[in-house]
Order: sequence, then C-alpha cells, then structure tokens
Amino acid sequence: MNVEYKNKWISQLKKGTLSFIVLNILNKDKEYYGYDLISEIKRITDIDIAEGTLYPLLIRLKNENLVEHNWVEQQSGIPRKYYKITKEGKSTIAQMKAYWDNLNQTINSI
Amino acid sequence: MKFQEITFTDTNAKRLYKDYIGRVKHAVKDLSKENQHETLLEINSHIYEAFSLSKSNEVESLLDIFDKLGRPEIFLKELVAEKKLEEATRTFNPLKIIKALLLNITNGISYIIFLLLYLSLFSFVFLIFAKIFDPENVGFFYRNNDIFVLGKISSSSINYQQYEQLGNWFIPVMTVSAFILFVIITFLLKLSKRLKNK
Repeated sequence: MNVEYKNKWISQLKKGTLSFIVLNILNKDKEYYGYDLISEIKRITDIDIAEGTLYPLLIRLKNENLVEHNWVEQQSGIPRKYYKITKEGKSTIAQMKAYWDNLNQTINSI
Repeated sequence: MKFQEITFTDTNAKRLYKDYIGRVKHAVKDLSKENQHETLLEINSHIYEAFSLSKSNEVESLLDIFDKLGRPEIFLKELVAEKKLEEATRTFNPLKIIKALLLNITNGISYIIFLLLYLSLFSFVFLIFAKIFDPENVGFFYRNNDIFVLGKISSSSINYQQYEQLGNWFIPVMTVSAFILFVIITFLLKLSKRLKNK
C-alpha cells in the first residue's frame, strides 16, 4: 500500500471539507467561540486539525456572509468571539449537504 | 474592547506567553489598528480558553497550546492577506492595494493580473516626469496611417514635434487618465472579490 499517497489524500480531503464541517456544526443554531468550535470538530469528527487554520477559515466564511460574529465580555476580562451561521449560510449548507449526499451515494454505488 | 493579558504564576510561562503574543502582534502589524486588535483579542481568547481547561503545569500547557495553534507567522499569513485586501480596496490607497496584492499573489492568477495592471499605472507617472525633463521628445505623436506613439520618441532627422497632439495638455491628460484607470481597476478588483465570494 502507498501510505504516503493515502495520507496526502486524507490531508487534502480534511482541508477541503473543513468549511463544510464548520458550517454543519454552526447549523445546529448554537453559537460557538473559536476554541469551543475546534473542540466540537475534534469531538465529532476525530480530525486533528491545526487549530490556527480555523481562524482564517472563519474570516473567509464571514467575508462570504455565511457566518457572523459578536464579541461577548466575560468575567475573566478576556472576551469571547461567538460565531453563528447566517441565513445565507443556512441555504448554502443545505445545498452543500445535498451535493455531498449525492456524491456519497454515487461513490457507494461504484 | 480592551486587550487583557493572561496572568501566570510561573515566570517561564509568562515569558513564553509574552513571546508568542509578540509574534502575533508582529504577524499582523500590516493590518489596520482595528483588525490588529481584533486578531490579537481572538488569539488571546483561544489561549485563555485552552489554558483554563488544561490540567498540566503552566509551561507544559502553553507549549501544547502553541504547538496546536501553530506558528503565528504561518497561520496568520492567510488571514492577514484576506483582511489586508479588504482594507485596501475600501481605502482606494494605491500603495496599500499593491501591498495587499503582493500578499495575495499566491492566492490566484487574478491577483497577479491586477498587480500588473496597477504597476502599469506607473508608466503614466513616468511619462509625466519624462515630459517635464524632455518636453520635445515626449508626448502623444499621431499622424494618420503613419505614426502613433504615446511616450518618448527617439531624436532623428525628422521633426516629429509637428505631430504631437496634446502639447501643454499632455500632463493634465496623463494625470486624469491615470486616475480614471486607477478607479476602474480598483472597481474591477472589488467586483472580482465580490464574485469570488459568491
């Protein structure tokens, strides 16, 4: 087995599906702050992501109007930046999900 | 919202934290004050949340957090490029735009094209200065089916000056052309950004 090729493929797959995973998590109508979101991704998917890569991704999603954020002051004095999905984000993830299901079905039928 | 440092009892942990925050500040120094502050707050929040759940000692916890976050110079590069371009197209500042395009050069061929278009604007500036220093041979030379030159013409036995069309209007026309072109390219850049986001 070509382990190197397989690992490269897995890494590309993880990278390509990260925005899909993030939007899916946020689609549960709960607000998440960065670290909380990373913990949730790890809990659900078992993907060991480079945590720093999540922040540029969230900026991109925000620039595309798929998510929005608000800062919430904490008693500790260190505020949290909470992210939530937008209306446009919800309709986008619905279409992404439909495509994903279709792709999954096609792959399974091969 | 104010940036508040996380407190540590271990001096080594404090040093590690300050060093990392310093690197974050350095990595985002090209952004506007507002974006620098927001990025710093978010990374600080991440460190704090991860640290408050950690069970090992302060130094070990921090090393683990920084290892998982990655090097600020690397993971913030994309974030800086993205935010910088957003800031630049909003301000219409040519130097900021060129800097932002340079940061985004690896993010797509369109950014390379836009960078080349902006750099071509400097040819107008060059022509304006060339006209001041060499008014005889620089201009817009035109004669039907014979000559069409916008720029500098080599000195020769033929007197091309009779074909120069703009005269004293050359500098104002070049200035206005450069400005109009700059506005058009910037709007195209904004439009391409918007289309990419669709």
